[in-house]
Amino acid sequence: MSVYIKVSNLTKKFKGRTVVDELSFEARRGEVFGLLGHNGAGKSTTIETLLGLKKADGGTAEVLGMEPEKHRKEIFERVGVQLQSSNYQSTIRVGEICQEIAALYKNPADYRILLKRFGLEAFEKAQVNKLSGGERQKLSVLLALIPQPEIVFLDELTTGLDTAARREVWRTLKELKSEGTTLFLTTHYMEEAESLCDWICLIKEGKKIAEGTVQELIAKSPYANLEEAYLWYMGEEI
Amino acid sequence: MMKRFLKVYSIEQKLAFRSADGIIFGICMPVGIMVLIAMIAGEKVAGNQGYTYLDGSFASLIAVGICAAAFMGIPLTVADYRDKKILKHFFVTPCSPMLLLGTIFLCNMVTAVLSALAVTLTAVLGFGYRMVGNPVQFIGAWVLTLVSMFSIGLMMASVCRTVKSANAITSLVYFPMLFLSGATIPFELFPEGLQKISSVLPLTQGIKLMKTASMGMQTEKNGSIVLLLLGITLVCCLISVKTFRWE
Repeated sequence: MSVYIKVSNLTKKFKGRTVVDELSFEARRGEVFGLLGHNGAGKSTTIETLLGLKKADGGTAEVLGMEPEKHRKEIFERVGVQLQSSNYQSTIRVGEICQEIAALYKNPADYRILLKRFGLEAFEKAQVNKLSGGERQKLSVLLALIPQPEIVFLDELTTGLDTAARREVWRTLKELKSEGTTLFLTTHYMEEAESLCDWICLIKEGKKIAEGTVQELIAKSPYANLEEAYLWYMGEEI
Repeated sequence: MMKRFLKVYSIEQKLAFRSADGIIFGICMPVGIMVLIAMIAGEKVAGNQGYTYLDGSFASLIAVGICAAAFMGIPLTVADYRDKKILKHFFVTPCSPMLLLGTIFLCNMVTAVLSALAVTLTAVLGFGYRMVGNPVQFIGAWVLTLVSMFSIGLMMASVCRTVKSANAITSLVYFPMLFLSGATIPFELFPEGLQKISSVLPLTQGIKLMKTASMGMQTEKNGSIVLLLLGITLVCCLISVKTFRWE
């Protein structure tokens, strides 16, 4: 399997505090890669640094074999990104945000087909702000798919959603997974990681604690499920 | 690239029209004041220069649209888009956030143009206003005022980190500029002391330039006003580029 994302010794500091600490991992094509950790563990910073949004203080990151800082345009034609808790223009409608995003790419997907697929076609004329949390997050995933991407980055997609909405978003992600889309996601829901991720990387204070498949991580811990194993890895078992 | 820009622009322009702020503050307000001034004192002679209040107010009311776009439209939209991570999101697409900023700039320019057209039509058709001076010179003065005021707006957008501070700074700049520059309340009505304070405001200088052009008056001061406005544009653009943050 070819390596789609390669991160080596990535380091990012803010005002002398090391937020991402010599982090290394690889994500392979067709794989769902989960970056797990507590709030403030450096998950978002890792995504933003590896995508070149923030300048790394050390180490390298490659996406599709290219360094994002040098090949921004090429990479982002082929990669869809949803940043954490992003928002939209206050009066924009669903159809309009789709058109605006689609206008930025050379070969955008037909957003109407995507809307139908996500069960959002009835909302095309609705204001994005009037959507429910679950609908809005589905829209976020949809927008990340507009470039017809080879990799989709999703940062804390389901944080703040109620259980029903979260499950609906998961169903969408599972569909993507079954189609072979490479997904890179961050989460602090173990259930999400367990049901979606092929490979998990646990981080704490910007450092890698452990990585492997769900089964491997559980097997290496004294516990029988991921949640307890996670707490054990984090050194916070009860 | 042009096609992309126009598509994004057309959506941003729809959004701009959808929010009533630009239309109320940029277009309805100057037209309303124009109607009031024309009805109350249109034919009266303003100050001791021998022109009427209507003549004197025309140029300054044209500037209200610039004022609203530059000191409210631009900084508030940019601060809002930064806060909502919309600017940042453009970073993770093949397009630069500059594209989005360009469309914001253009939308606000459209507000200023529409405002100028509405004020002109009201003055000419409603109250028989005729420009004494050279319209080409007037348009030149308008463009220079617009560019220099927009550069101040861009600087405000860069310096303000949050929506909250953008709101505060906007009110702090917009209202004095609006009321003390002669844009709404005729400059001639100000007591001498206030006129001196008012002259410090950059918009006052822009309005002076537009006013003398509209009335065909040539004063030796105009050259220095042009230089001043160009200087403001240069300095503010530099500061806004230096201090700009996407997030």
